[in-house]
Amino acid sequence: MIAIEAQNLGKRYRKAGVGAPTLREALKRTFRRKPMEDFWAVRGLNFAIEPGRTIGVIGPNGSGKSSLLGLLAGTITPTEGSVRVEGRISSLLELGAGFHPDLSGRENVFLNAAILGIPQEDVRRRFDAIVDFAGLREFIDMPVKHYSSGMYVRLAFAVAVEMNPDVLLVDEVLAVGDTAFQMKCLDRIHDFKRRGKTILLVSHALETVEQFCDEVILIHKGAMIQRGPPSEVIFNYLKSYMVRIGMLNVEEHGTREVEIRAVRLLDAAGHETVVFTTGQPMVIEVQYHAKHRIEKPVFGFNLKTGNGIYVFGSNTQIAKVPLEAIAGDGVMRLTINPLTLMAGRFFLSLSIHSWDHSVQYHRQEDLHPFMVKDDSQHKGLLHLDTAWEHRPAL
Amino acid sequence: MQALAIAWRHRELLWNLAGRDLKGRYKDSVLGLLWTILAPLFMAGIYIFFLRLLGGRGLQIGMPDIIIGVFAWQFTVQCVTSGLNAFTGNANLVKKVYLPRLLLPTSVVLSALVNYLLMLVVQLPLIAFLLWRQHEMLSIWTLALPVVIVYQTFFNLLLALTVSAANVYFRDTQHLVGLGLSAWFFVSPVMYPLSFVHNLAERWPWLESLYQLNPLTVIITAYRTLQTGAPLVLTPAAMIGWLWPLVAAVGVFYAFDRAQRNFADVL
Repeated sequence: MIAIEAQNLGKRYRKAGVGAPTLREALKRTFRRKPMEDFWAVRGLNFAIEPGRTIGVIGPNGSGKSSLLGLLAGTITPTEGSVRVEGRISSLLELGAGFHPDLSGRENVFLNAAILGIPQEDVRRRFDAIVDFAGLREFIDMPVKHYSSGMYVRLAFAVAVEMNPDVLLVDEVLAVGDTAFQMKCLDRIHDFKRRGKTILLVSHALETVEQFCDEVILIHKGAMIQRGPPSEVIFNYLKSYMVRIGMLNVEEHGTREVEIRAVRLLDAAGHETVVFTTGQPMVIEVQYHAKHRIEKPVFGFNLKTGNGIYVFGSNTQIAKVPLEAIAGDGVMRLTINPLTLMAGRFFLSLSIHSWDHSVQYHRQEDLHPFMVKDDSQHKGLLHLDTAWEHRPAL
Repeated sequence: MQALAIAWRHRELLWNLAGRDLKGRYKDSVLGLLWTILAPLFMAGIYIFFLRLLGGRGLQIGMPDIIIGVFAWQFTVQCVTSGLNAFTGNANLVKKVYLPRLLLPTSVVLSALVNYLLMLVVQLPLIAFLLWRQHEMLSIWTLALPVVIVYQTFFNLLLALTVSAANVYFRDTQHLVGLGLSAWFFVSPVMYPLSFVHNLAERWPWLESLYQLNPLTVIITAYRTLQTGAPLVLTPAAMIGWLWPLVAAVGVFYAFDRAQRNFADVL
């Protein structure tokens, strides 16, 4: 049994836009000899997905992720190849598509449900649950044009999760709403997963992908680069791919009198990874090569969040573990234990510079992305050791 | 046939879309649904007034004929004009959700049909009253109206499918359609009875044949025949006028199916 199967799937777009916007343009094109410039949003995709699997699709912007979902959902017709989806398919591609601004929330619930193929009978029965899930009880009879964008999306999502598809396509919908609502959304998707639905999840939130998916597909420029276990694919994506294709705003400079030859990020068991767990150790191993003898070098590092917030920085000078001198090859090991970062994406910067900071030998700015997952229910950026103490009134 | 099957399978959605169309149109207007009836009545009034004024009393133009003509014309016009935006106005639905594309123009036609039926609720007593004033009666054949209504609805659907899809690829369509409709209005017996073109027909018989190939000519004439007992046109040309849309339907459905495949890319 196969839930989704793509064979040599390809979708071509014209660079000047498909079709002609006006008759004039069309005539002009008919008489023009020059062939149109094309590009393939997706090409040569071959894969099969078994039922009940949750598959993450990751890749840089414009890599063809959304085109792929469109092809699966049937909104886009393939230029070549074919795609076959077994069973009922539903997509959380665009929430609230088909909402009519002038109609009330109540009317739109029924309308949107009809568009998504949910029987009206079910909606009537579940209406209260839908409204409560969206948290819009007092606004349900207001035209949705007066809703805030958050309310709009919440209502749309509340309707959408009433679907009972065999295959569910999710495209970055979790990027909406406040944290509380996002948790509810994730819960619902978990629910789908538990009920054995096949889920295809497109997201830039790699922690979520790592947490949810059984398998991850990495696509770039419309082609499948890799498919495999989440941590492996995400590792590849972060570690080499994002850097190699210049996606990250990374910087590398220095005199290279001492050169960072290789950097390995290791977990508690000593395995190389980019996915770390809160509360577990993280080891950074820097292999360097000094071209000549360097007196009193300083090794430093810092961590920033995916949004560029500076979290922590230190070096051997500040930490008072000065080195006398280095020469030739060597390895510097930095252990962070326990890792107190909470779930998220982070960047590691490394540097080797002189004692007085006047010479930068080699600095790698944000060159090493990694992610942290957290199995607890705690929220925030950093884990704080906490203890609760309750003293009842005397 | 296949198209009808799709429409039937999604009838719940069709009703919802049509309902959205109807509700959306009259939301926030004081008279609301009443506009459905007021607008064509007002138009019929204008035509009657000016034709009487310009043509003089001698002109044989019955008020019932004009009312029937204008109301039926309105039905087709509404299908065409709202059909134009069936896709261009719902880009989100086309690009983000999969539903048979056929449903959007169909829902537009459905909502126009509901409108038309409401118009008929007003039209029939009005015609009966006007005929009664001339000591005539509403024909018993009025009961056969549904047949013509079904036919016109189908014809309107073909038009809506054509213009909705064409407008996705060429936005010129909406302007061309505007021009086409104003020409069509005059070459169809909307504000005049068929007898009006008799003079012309005697001079150029082939022109009359051409005239009767227009499905709206035969549709409107049929409405009049059924209600007021005006003579039915049974020329070969009129027969072809009835038949050709049914044949063309095959091509329209096929072309529509081909065209809709790339809608998401173009919109």
